[in-house]
Amino acid sequence: MRSIVKFFSSVRLAIVLIILITLASVLGTFIPQGRSTAEYAARYDSLAGLFTTLQLTRLYSSAWYLALLVLFALNLVVCTVVRFGAKWRRAFGPAPAADPQALMAMKIKGRFRLSLPLAAAKDKTIAALRADRFRVTETPVGGRTVLRARKRRLGLFGSDVVHLGLLVILAGGFASGLGGRRAEIGLLEGETADVPQAAFRVRLDKFETEYYPKGGVKDWKSTVTVVENGAPVLTRVVEVNHPLTYRGISFYQTSYGWDWQKSAFELEVRKRADASFSKSVSLKLGERAAVDDVEITRVAIRQFVPDFVLGEGGKVQSRSQEPRNPAALVEAWKGEERIFSGWVFARYPDFGSGHPEGKSPFAFVLKRYEAAPYSVLEAAKDPGVNFIWLGSLFVVAGLFLAFYWPPREITAVLEETQGKVEVTAGGHAAKGGEAFQAEYDGIFERIRRPS
Amino acid sequence: MTESTLFTVAFILYIGALIVFFAALFARREGWARAGLVLAAAGFLFHTAALVLRTASSGHAPFTNMYESLSFLSWSVVLAMIVFGRKSRVPGLAPYLMLIAVALVALASSPLMPKDATPLVPALQSYWLWLHVSVTLLGEAFFAVAFVASLLFLGAGSEEKKERLDALAYRAVAVGFPLFTLGGLVFGMVWAYRAWGRYWGWDPKEVWSLITWFVFALYLHTRIVMGWKGKRSAWIAIIGFLAALFTYFGVNYILAGLHSYA
Repeated sequence: MRSIVKFFSSVRLAIVLIILITLASVLGTFIPQGRSTAEYAARYDSLAGLFTTLQLTRLYSSAWYLALLVLFALNLVVCTVVRFGAKWRRAFGPAPAADPQALMAMKIKGRFRLSLPLAAAKDKTIAALRADRFRVTETPVGGRTVLRARKRRLGLFGSDVVHLGLLVILAGGFASGLGGRRAEIGLLEGETADVPQAAFRVRLDKFETEYYPKGGVKDWKSTVTVVENGAPVLTRVVEVNHPLTYRGISFYQTSYGWDWQKSAFELEVRKRADASFSKSVSLKLGERAAVDDVEITRVAIRQFVPDFVLGEGGKVQSRSQEPRNPAALVEAWKGEERIFSGWVFARYPDFGSGHPEGKSPFAFVLKRYEAAPYSVLEAAKDPGVNFIWLGSLFVVAGLFLAFYWPPREITAVLEETQGKVEVTAGGHAAKGGEAFQAEYDGIFERIRRPS
Repeated sequence: MTESTLFTVAFILYIGALIVFFAALFARREGWARAGLVLAAAGFLFHTAALVLRTASSGHAPFTNMYESLSFLSWSVVLAMIVFGRKSRVPGLAPYLMLIAVALVALASSPLMPKDATPLVPALQSYWLWLHVSVTLLGEAFFAVAFVASLLFLGAGSEEKKERLDALAYRAVAVGFPLFTLGGLVFGMVWAYRAWGRYWGWDPKEVWSLITWFVFALYLHTRIVMGWKGKRSAWIAIIGFLAALFTYFGVNYILAGLHSYA
């Protein structure tokens, strides 16, 4: 047991662990994480199997990376606890029996004589130290009086506060990893959906996309109502950077799109031979609609893509969900005879004339394509997040304490010799030596000055 | 004056300061270095005005693309140079820090960087943009001070000079590390939680800022607890700054991730 404690109390172990965690983290940024087996096979060839076995493809949740973090946490706990007692005594404990020789060996030191009785010399010294906000404790040791003055004692614990904060953050991370839940909820306007693992539902009342005057999305706004036991409880607008939190579950605006498969279209039918002929037909995807003409009786839209692109092997695909290049596969019949089949582009109405079936006597214009917009909200429950904020607070406060609240300590020994009082003093500060020397000099000049 | 005029004037003054600083360094004239500091401070004022003007005209924080964030980073480096260059009696510090600042400004003004102020995408519309980016880049500017001091340490001859540079590097880390922790990691986590619903997602930029943090944690522990000083400390500080630089640049251009704004 003792050897285990000794092992974990070593700063060397901390340094080895920091280096290992750092190198592992670097590795994880150069191997893409969490991709498909096929992608790894293509990218790394024969090494893919090895990478997967070593869990390098999901490194940050791998057993060995987590083990490193657990070891690091243990190391932090033991290091901090083992050193805490000594620090506590240093900050709040009684003065050790200081001996003038030891004080004279310190970096900041001084020795002088005061022509005052011991009690007066002591009072003067204490008053000067207190004037600089030192807390002074007094211990008579034999014929000597030992004064121990300390200030900014909390600064000694800066690093402990940082370490405590890191432990709280690590605990929060594990809590998030084990108890965190995330689910995407896609909603059309007016739809209500269950929230996984919650006793309430959410309804999307309205979804808007705002654009900048020069184009570009300015904002996505989902007006969301929480419905509990069949009754609406609250309505909020959820935007990026402005989530809604209800009963521990937060809803984030994460994505959006259009339900293109339920689009409503308006198709204009023209005849190339007859410029005055124009008929508009409203129809839905897959539905045959009557044109009411002898030469062309019915039309249908077989397929629709919002962002037309030809993929591998000439396959029609949609590059995105955005209506950047809307295209419809239009078919037309005369009685039972199919007289047209080709892609019609809303943005390029003339493009269809060059379709593979030759010049058709008909032309089609895709005048309207409307789909209901839907919003994707992410519902997230994260039991660790408050630990993270608390831990972060500790880390930052601890860092500022450690760097900007340096503890200072002055020990003075007063000894009566030949009717005078000999004062020997030494100062200690872990940081800010030059500034401390100046403070020390100031204090002792005031003590030596005849009053 | 327009923003780009102010920026150009600042650039010219910085180059002037750079030349004067190096002249002072090689001619060993301390008085000249003071003139360099005046030039740099004048440039800094113009640069500040340019940043203010850009903020006013674009309506958002001046660090939403690479041009803007480079400009702000160079501003921070000049600020750190003025803070440390005034007090520390290390003649090499100001010239080499100024060199970094001028390189950053030059990169910002290169034609590769689009300079148009574009409207903010929804994810960036948050006051956390101000807090996260400004505090992080300020912290990194102080890492640059530690970097220059450490490089000078490795090249320094006399023991006295070495001791001064070693202490200077430590003081710069003591300023940069808390700022970087607060801005880069803590504010970053808070913002990520508000925008994406998770405070940490192992995105390459997140991981690299953690790596930078670890390197400087290593610097502090080897130094304070194990008493490493001098050469080894200097190397760790150099690696730390390079990690910060990679977090800033490399991740955007080499590793793909969510964090691809600037």
